Amino acid sequence: MTKINLKQEIVPVLFLTFIVCLSVIFLYATNSVTEEYIKNTKNDAVKSMLKEQFSEMDDYSYDEKLEYYTILLNDEIVGYAFVAVANGYGGPIELFVALESNFLDDDDIIIHGISVVSHSETPGLGEKIVEASFSDQFTGINVNDVALTEDGGKIDSISGATISSSAVVDAMFNSVRQKAEVIRNNIDLNSEEES
Amino acid sequence: MKEIIENLKNGIIKSNPVLILLLGLCPTLAVSTSIDNAFGMTAAVLFVLISSNIIVSLIRKYTPKRVRIPVFIVIIATLVTIVDLTMQAFLPSLSESLGIFIPLIVVNCIILGRAEAFASKNKVPNAIMDAVGMGIGFGIAITTISLFREILGTGNLEVFGIELFKIPGLSENPMPIFILPMGAFLVISILLATLRYTGVIKSG
Repeated sequence: MTKINLKQEIVPVLFLTFIVCLSVIFLYATNSVTEEYIKNTKNDAVKSMLKEQFSEMDDYSYDEKLEYYTILLNDEIVGYAFVAVANGYGGPIELFVALESNFLDDDDIIIHGISVVSHSETPGLGEKIVEASFSDQFTGINVNDVALTEDGGKIDSISGATISSSAVVDAMFNSVRQKAEVIRNNIDLNSEEES
Repeated sequence: MKEIIENLKNGIIKSNPVLILLLGLCPTLAVSTSIDNAFGMTAAVLFVLISSNIIVSLIRKYTPKRVRIPVFIVIIATLVTIVDLTMQAFLPSLSESLGIFIPLIVVNCIILGRAEAFASKNKVPNAIMDAVGMGIGFGIAITTISLFREILGTGNLEVFGIELFKIPGLSENPMPIFILPMGAFLVISILLATLRYTGVIKSG
C-alpha cells in the first residue's frame, strides 16, 4: 500500500521539481550571456535617439530620479531631453522631446525637436505622426505655440487623424512646462549648493 | 525511412497546423503584417517546436503521466524565454516588432499539441521530422497570409529592408485595411475558402 503511494504521489512531484531546476539553470545561463547585449542595445537606442536631435553632442547624462537627459558638448549643456507619454487613439504614444537649454521662465521654452519612440496608431492615418512632415513642425517653436492651427497654434493636424494629432499636442503642451520646471528647480538647487 | 518522410509531409500538407487543424491562429493573424515578421515568427516557432519535441521525446519514458502537461509547459516556457532573450540581445528590431507574440509562443497550441499528441509517444527522429514538418507548415501559412497583407496593404514588398517590387498606383494609395486586424481575417478566410473550393485541402 505505502509503496504504491510513494510511486504515485512522490515521483511526479520530484520529476517536476527536477525539470524546473534544470529550466532555472538554463535560463540563468542564457540570461548571463544575453544581459550585457540587451543593456548595450538599449543604450545604443537611447544614444541614437539623442544623436538624432542633437547631432553635435559628444556626451550625455541621465538623471534617474527626475527622468531627464542632459546633453553636453565640450562639458557645456546644449539641451535637455525627456520621454513624454500621450494618450493616442490606439494606446499610449511615447514621445522623445528635446528642449533648448536656455530657458528662464515658462514663456521662453524653445522645443528643439521631437521624435516618436513607440505608438500603436492606425496604419496609414494616425501612424503619420512618425513622419517628419508632422514632427518637424515642433522643431524650434516656442512652447506657447504648441497647439493645433484651428486653436490658434502652429501645428497642422494630420487629416483623418485628429485624435492622434491632438494627443501629441496636448501631451507636449502639458509635459514640456512640467519638465522644464523640474529641470529649472534642479539647476537652481545645484547652483545654490555650489555658491 | 518512409515513415519519417511521412511524418514530415504530414505537417506540411495533410494536417497543416494553420490551414487544416486551425491551430496557432493568434500569432498567424496578429504577426502576419509584414513578411519580415512572418519569417521571424516562423524561425522562433521552428526552434521552439524542434527543441521541445526532442526533449519531450527523450524524456517520454520517464515522464509520469499525471504531471506530463506541467512538465511540457515548463520545457516550452524555458525554450521560449531563451528565444526571447536571444532575440532581444541580437535582433532588437525584430524583437520589437514581434513584441508580445514571442512570449505568447508558450501558449501556442501547435507546440503543446505536438508535444502531447506526437512527441510524447514517438521516437526522437520521428519527433524531429514531425516538428520540422509542422514548423514549415506554419511558416507556409503565415508567409502566404503576410504576402497578401503586405502587398495589398502597403503596395510594395520589402524583405529584410530590400525592396523587391512596387505596384504602381497601389503604393501611392494602399489599402491599409489589410494591415489592420480585420485584414488578417479577410485574407485567411478567403485563403481557406479558396483552398477548400479548389480541393487542395479536403474538408471534414
